[in-house]
Amino acid sequence: MRSAKEKRPAGQKQYYRRKKVCKFCVERIDTINYKDVKLLAQFVPERAKIMPRRISGVCSHHQRLLNDAIKKARNIALLPFATE
Amino acid sequence: MRNYEIMFILHPNTPDEETDKINGQIESVITSGGGKVEKIEKMGKRRLAYDVGKQREGFYILFVISANGDIVKECERRLRVIDAVIKYITVRTDEEVRRFEKIRSYRQKRAARRGSSAGAPPQPSIEEAMQ
Repeated sequence: MRSAKEKRPAGQKQYYRRKKVCKFCVERIDTINYKDVKLLAQFVPERAKIMPRRISGVCSHHQRLLNDAIKKARNIALLPFATE
Repeated sequence: MRNYEIMFILHPNTPDEETDKINGQIESVITSGGGKVEKIEKMGKRRLAYDVGKQREGFYILFVISANGDIVKECERRLRVIDAVIKYITVRTDEEVRRFEKIRSYRQKRAARRGSSAGAPPQPSIEEAMQ
């Protein structure tokens, strides 16, 4: 961490942002099942919207699989479409 | 033949005999059409994420089958007719399974190659990215 800070020339931002990594790539999860509510719920915050990639850090491939799974789960009332 | 998963939700007040009857009905539709029922799973009563037909709970049942599209169509028609069924979904799974197998075989091949040359377990570049 420190070395990253020191390398920066003066005038640049001083904080170091930890690089986000795709949870599914790290844990080697290949298929995302719509029945796995516990897993999917991690990517569905309070308002029941699908968490964007820029926040969760999921790679595009897995985000797509995740999207499909969440939408299927919504269809069968495992996940909400929206919450008040 | 394709693999499908049919999941449906029954009214929470459905008696057990009724549940078994419906399961039997669907099963007979599949087997008589030349399909195969691989698994019937009663997932039990759980809270619905939103109200369906004024119900907050539902009894989930999952069928894992291999059948043709016509059979699935007939199953869906039946499910629509049965009053106790408040929601159903059919998902085709064989494509996904095939893709998964492909990824896995590729990974094994790679692991074998890495293992023979360097003797170290394959570590993705993700590890580096995390540091």
